Amino acid sequence: MGKTKRIWLLALTAVVSLSMVTACSGTNNAKKNTGTTEPTSAATTEAEPKQDKVTFKIFNGVAGSKDGNTNETTIGKLLEEQTGVNFKLEFVVGDLNTKIGTMIAANDYPDVLIPDAAIEEVLNAGAFIPLDELIEQYGPNIKRVYGKSLNQMRSNDGKIYFLPIAAQVNDFIPEPEAGAGFWVQRRVLEEAGYPKITTLDQYIELIKNYREKHKDENLTGLVSLTHDWRFFATSNPPMHLMGYPNDGNVTVDTSTWEAKTYAGSEATKKWLKVLNDLNANGLFDKASFVDNYDQYIAKLTSHKVLGFFDYRWQVDNALNVLKDAARKDPELDGYKYFPLPVTFEEGTPDAYLDPPGGLVTNRGIGITVSAKDPVRIIQFFDNMLTEENQTLMSWGIKGETYEVNEEGRYHRTQEQIDKIDEAFRESFGFKYFSWNWPMYNTTSTLANGNAKNVASQPEVFQMTLTDKDKAILDKYGVQTYSQLFAEPVPRPYFPAWGFAKEQNSPEQLWEASKDELTKKFFPKLVLTTPDKFETVWEDYMKEFGKLDTAGYEKWTTEQVKAKVELANE
Amino acid sequence: MDKNTVPALPRLAASKEPGRIRLFCRKLGQQRALAVMSVPFLIWLIIFKYLPLWGWSIAFQDYKPAKKFMEQTWIGLEHFKFLFGDDRFLRVLRNTLAMSSINLFFGFVTAITLALLLNEIRNIAFKRVVQTVSYLPHFISWVVAASIIQTTLSPDGTINQLLVGLGFIDRGNEILFLGIPEYFWTIFGASSVWKDIGWNTIVYLAAMTTIDPTQYEAAEIDGANRFKKMIYVTLPGIKSVVIVLLIMNIGYLLESGFEPQYLLGNGMNVDYSENIDIFVLKYGIAQSNFSLSIAAGMFKTVVSFILLFLANNAAKRMGEARLY
Repeated sequence: MGKTKRIWLLALTAVVSLSMVTACSGTNNAKKNTGTTEPTSAATTEAEPKQDKVTFKIFNGVAGSKDGNTNETTIGKLLEEQTGVNFKLEFVVGDLNTKIGTMIAANDYPDVLIPDAAIEEVLNAGAFIPLDELIEQYGPNIKRVYGKSLNQMRSNDGKIYFLPIAAQVNDFIPEPEAGAGFWVQRRVLEEAGYPKITTLDQYIELIKNYREKHKDENLTGLVSLTHDWRFFATSNPPMHLMGYPNDGNVTVDTSTWEAKTYAGSEATKKWLKVLNDLNANGLFDKASFVDNYDQYIAKLTSHKVLGFFDYRWQVDNALNVLKDAARKDPELDGYKYFPLPVTFEEGTPDAYLDPPGGLVTNRGIGITVSAKDPVRIIQFFDNMLTEENQTLMSWGIKGETYEVNEEGRYHRTQEQIDKIDEAFRESFGFKYFSWNWPMYNTTSTLANGNAKNVASQPEVFQMTLTDKDKAILDKYGVQTYSQLFAEPVPRPYFPAWGFAKEQNSPEQLWEASKDELTKKFFPKLVLTTPDKFETVWEDYMKEFGKLDTAGYEKWTTEQVKAKVELANE
Repeated sequence: MDKNTVPALPRLAASKEPGRIRLFCRKLGQQRALAVMSVPFLIWLIIFKYLPLWGWSIAFQDYKPAKKFMEQTWIGLEHFKFLFGDDRFLRVLRNTLAMSSINLFFGFVTAITLALLLNEIRNIAFKRVVQTVSYLPHFISWVVAASIIQTTLSPDGTINQLLVGLGFIDRGNEILFLGIPEYFWTIFGASSVWKDIGWNTIVYLAAMTTIDPTQYEAAEIDGANRFKKMIYVTLPGIKSVVIVLLIMNIGYLLESGFEPQYLLGNGMNVDYSENIDIFVLKYGIAQSNFSLSIAAGMFKTVVSFILLFLANNAAKRMGEARLY
């Protein structure tokens, strides 16, 4: 190689690299200019079409996806084009209270905060700015969506500090699968000839009979989840068995709006007595009281457990594993679980489907005192709540992730359903925009009558069913699982577990003490010999009597009545 | 012998008797490298151990986060009164003391025994295997360890299967070990021993290597057998290490650990498994009652300090090795 040639080469590389450096820094500068300049507040009127691009930080107190920018997803990109706003999302890792506590102590917040369970602390610390004026000025869609409930959202000082996570809009369609129920393996139903099961006695009888016939298979009749805060999976059934929806610690009478606790009631006693009998007959899995959540999920997928009560979101993992297995090998369909609307008495309408209700007002999204430009944020939220964007966020893009037929019904082709897997949901943005933003809730419909929630659209739901699914639904003469359940009755305050409680208040103390008491006594009541059940129950009642239950009921009733009144205004 | 004795520092002030301050300065000058090296750690100590003591003031306030120090309401000893008046606190105090005593006693006895036995093994390969196997559990996190323990003790776990197989119990009557409150301390103690025995032996084994081999030879000539050598040579040889460790651990008597109790505890054994740390988590932090947590923490620190001081003093009086 000649010397000159080498020099030429050197010169060339130098030029190329130089131009690359300048090019890079050029784009960098451009990005910086658009990325972080604070737009002057005067410029943010609605008439102004194009605004500078801004990035806001948002902290989400629910662990969900990995951190990232919304504009790296298809949906987020479109929203950025409309508003010029990008959000950098950070999800909680580790303990939520610690993270929020640090923010409060440092008085340094992200622009937008979703504090989940720690919302009371955030409000007490005065971290949220009041939104009333912003909504008044920039929030026509916010008013449309939350309109009826704006009064319910007000804090004690009469101001609105955060937007609850989702609001009911337009018509109510129940989800195609019940949110809770008494589940039983399909093979048990098959062997019994698909009987109609509506009472607890029938349900227990069903399981007993099956176990009896398959003695040598080492089957477990019933398991229950008791681990840590998930204990409610064991303590909530009495409420459902009496025909009430999930209000947490109370049942609410829709005629008088009185809230009553049931932890020390006859219903609870009856439920525990059933478990006690099951245990005496070797049908109840004793380890339920010592197993942790993972062990519980593992048991449900082991094919050995005939039945259990739980909420679907808690056992989704297990059910999906079984579903996938059955999809690959239809022989395994018998191990899938089927939900049943079980109550104590024949003829009591069940309430496993969440009723149309009020707003969950102890969770939400708010703008913090550290926010650079609240106006742009509220405009973004408002823009999110338009029909088009709500459609975009759940259905996606027409022709790409959904189709519309002649009657205007939305649906998905098999190809689209197959395409939308976890990775696609992430890159398209369905994952970021599925939860914890101001939005229509999952039981809402769009203005054109289609379901907001894709899975709730009957056309889509039908496509997710296997032949075996269809066959079993056919035996019961229904098209969706939820049709087996009673139609939900509207409850304007619902859910009572969503009432915000003050930190360190008597209500919170009651709940903590009650939890401790039930966690201690329920295992004793279930595992004792049947003849001692009564004495243990008396011990429990003695301890339970020490709690200020009347005070708790009074407080809850007041909350219920206040919410109902606001809803009727 | 030589290898054990530290080379004596040159006597500085033998002839002239200069003032203490001058002496100090001279020593400082001579050991400036050491002094400089310790500065970062001093700063660390002050920032992370002394400055936070300021936070103890929270225990005397009705603390509300985000309010300024001057805006907090002072309520004096209210939180301490609540703590000591509460049955639950006395119960968790009992559990804490019981569990850490169990831990302290069995931890020491088993680790020293294992170290003595290991020290007698002449087959190096076997010794290494035993050591490795015994200290492996130390590196498993408690979360995993608790799962292993839970699975082993569950009704269809190994222990129950063993008991059924040996005919001690009938099938169907499996024992729910973690569901019997009285068993909890034993399970906790056994788990801690299993997890830390190997790790704890390391320091004793190290101490044993410093014992002069001539002492063993002398003992042998005097007619001591293996067992007697262990008692009269090895044990006294590691006595100072044992005592220093004991004093330090007594200071941690109110720290019975958090993870094992939290992970193995459940509604049924709560009367025996809940300790101070869990109590603080449940009624302090989880309820955002930070003042109560601090009050409980303060109580712990003060008691620990007193215990440490007493233990050290006792050692001093008996003329044994001590911490300071």
